[in-house]
Amino acid sequence: MNPKMITTMPDERGHFGEFGGRYVPEMLAPALDELAEAYEKWKNDEQFQQELNDLYRNYSGRPTPLYFAGNLSKQLGGAKIYLKQEGLGQTGAHKINHALGQALLAQKMGKQRIIAETGAGQHGLATATVAAKFGFDCTIYMGEVDVKRQATNVFWMRQLGAKVEVVTEGTKTLKDAVNAALKDWMWNVATTYFLLGSTVGPHPYPTIVRDFQSIVGVETKQQILEQEGRLPDYMIACVGGGSNSMGFFNAFLDETGVQLIGVEAGGKGIIPGGHAARFQGGRLGVVEGYKSYFLQDDDGQVMKTHSVSAGLDYAGVGPQLAYLQQQKRVQFVYATDNEVIEAFRRLARTEGILPALESAHAVAHAIKLAGQLPQDKIIAVNLSGRGDKDIFIVADYLNDQYWKDFCARYSEYGLSGEYDG
Amino acid sequence: MDKIAQTFDRLKAKNEIGLMTHVVIGYPNLKTTAAIVEAMVEAGTDMIELQMPFSDPTADGPTITKANQIALDNGVKMRDCMEMMGRLNEKFNIPFLFMGYFNLIFNYGYGRGNSYGVAKFCRDAIDAGASGLIVPDIPPDEAQEGYLDACQQNNLHPISVISPNISDVRLHKIAKVASGFVYCTSRTGTTGRPEAIEFDWLNTFLTKAKQYIPVPLAVGFSLSKREHLERLRGYADVAVVGSYMIQLFDREGIDGVRRTVRLLKG
Ligand SMILES: Cc1ncc(COP(=O)(O)O)c(C=O)c1O
Repeated sequence: MNPKMITTMPDERGHFGEFGGRYVPEMLAPALDELAEAYEKWKNDEQFQQELNDLYRNYSGRPTPLYFAGNLSKQLGGAKIYLKQEGLGQTGAHKINHALGQALLAQKMGKQRIIAETGAGQHGLATATVAAKFGFDCTIYMGEVDVKRQATNVFWMRQLGAKVEVVTEGTKTLKDAVNAALKDWMWNVATTYFLLGSTVGPHPYPTIVRDFQSIVGVETKQQILEQEGRLPDYMIACVGGGSNSMGFFNAFLDETGVQLIGVEAGGKGIIPGGHAARFQGGRLGVVEGYKSYFLQDDDGQVMKTHSVSAGLDYAGVGPQLAYLQQQKRVQFVYATDNEVIEAFRRLARTEGILPALESAHAVAHAIKLAGQLPQDKIIAVNLSGRGDKDIFIVADYLNDQYWKDFCARYSEYGLSGEYDG
Repeated sequence: MDKIAQTFDRLKAKNEIGLMTHVVIGYPNLKTTAAIVEAMVEAGTDMIELQMPFSDPTADGPTITKANQIALDNGVKMRDCMEMMGRLNEKFNIPFLFMGYFNLIFNYGYGRGNSYGVAKFCRDAIDAGASGLIVPDIPPDEAQEGYLDACQQNNLHPISVISPNISDVRLHKIAKVASGFVYCTSRTGTTGRPEAIEFDWLNTFLTKAKQYIPVPLAVGFSLSKREHLERLRGYADVAVVGSYMIQLFDREGIDGVRRTVRLLKG
């Protein structure tokens, strides 16, 4: 493969090899054309770039640190592990990067209303945040299952002034939230900007989201050169739709000496309906506007997925990642729920860092890999988010009595019940 | 001559606006779908779209989305859809079209024999007597990649779906591939919300569309009354009534469907 082919992708109709494209009802074509045109116009505009960089720096807190996880590396006795700390930015996850970029674009396009889908609630939170900052009217679609397990993010989104619409159709998770947002867009296509939260959906979204996320990899490159004087041997990121992994990998696609590894959600193991690892039993399909790998049954019905992390609990994967997998540029592995919780606890105890459960998938694989490698190897892990949002899931998974008691008392007496005993 | 062309010739001769009704295969169950179709045909519908249920019906509103889900919960498979198409064509002589999302066609027949996909779907569909396909998520740009060819080779009409917000450039593109008829939505948005239709605005668009498009025009979304059909007369050749049929069935059963189709046909 000619490496330059990767970075100049996709073609003008949004294809990454056979993947991607734009499979949507004709009524969305004008909006996607308008978006593609606006993006082409603004992406290299100097003032736009300046405004975005200012937001990245002074609003979101970029650059995020690249931290050498010395304790964890030592404990494992192998390769050096570096963590790109995306969780330290505003709203606690990388999602703010593409939310800021797209909000700025929406503003330039003169839109007044934005809508978004969310799984873990991190993209919804980032969208609600930029909506508050830019003064957009904002509606977030979220599956009922996710609303329950990510209640804190729902609360914060509402505090930020967003409407959170609970989606009760289908599997009541991320894919159904995407569908609901698409439907809203069909109704309000002239006035509304659909702020999509990952490198999925119809062209030009996979490209736009990747580009606004690519700052993560650009910084990582510079930081690792500063700290180590060379590029890493491995880069690891978790993969839901692909926004954090594509952002992390993009600046390294042509660096063929760097092995890129995507970690999918292995859930309860690779059994039908028990996981969200699209490259373990997924098949080529066309869903939600793009062609890629989807977990589906023989008839092409999209299957139920499972993951301990809401953000990876999704049946499809970004088209560029599907292409990079096919071209063997990105290797895909998976981590199970148990391994993920283990990794979460380990990182907390060794480094004092609570990773998002999504990001803990990447950590879990780094833990597996590092011990098998000599000490002069370097692994860079994208810690796409921090774990505060996952308090209910982790406590539930660990069956933590203290937290359960607190919740019971709180629901009955409020905070006074907690303090007064 | 194919059934769709025959139908339009007949409508033209009688100076009538046609009616296309809609069912979701397997809603509320397979047997009742067949009974609903029978009632529609008896009452004089001109064409029927048979929707193949899908897990992610992106262009459909709550009524049809729910019907899709119930059909799937009933265990309806693509095999059942083909069988239904075959049986209905043995029994009735009007055109039946498959409506559904592209993934069902793209993955059709997977795990059953060596070949699967669009070409196999088209072969089986024409064998079952289908007259055309209505696939809302395969716009002309992507349809070039095998879908149009497979339809053409099998004498199936690939019905394009357009909306009044379409650009002239894209209208040109659609006109080039139009076959059978073109399905125009009465507005943007999904199926199934009873909305006041802006007929003056819509008919202005239809007049323009007719200049480009060499085949008849069908109009659907939010249509439910004879009066709607009257307003479209002269601008559209067929009116499509979808979600309303399901809502009607839910409220008044098969008799309600039969009575309403008669009323719609005037
Ligand atoms: C912290 C975090 N990491 C990763 C993901 C997965 O998405 P993506 O693959 O687009 O990065 C999410 C999604 O919600 C997330 O919140």
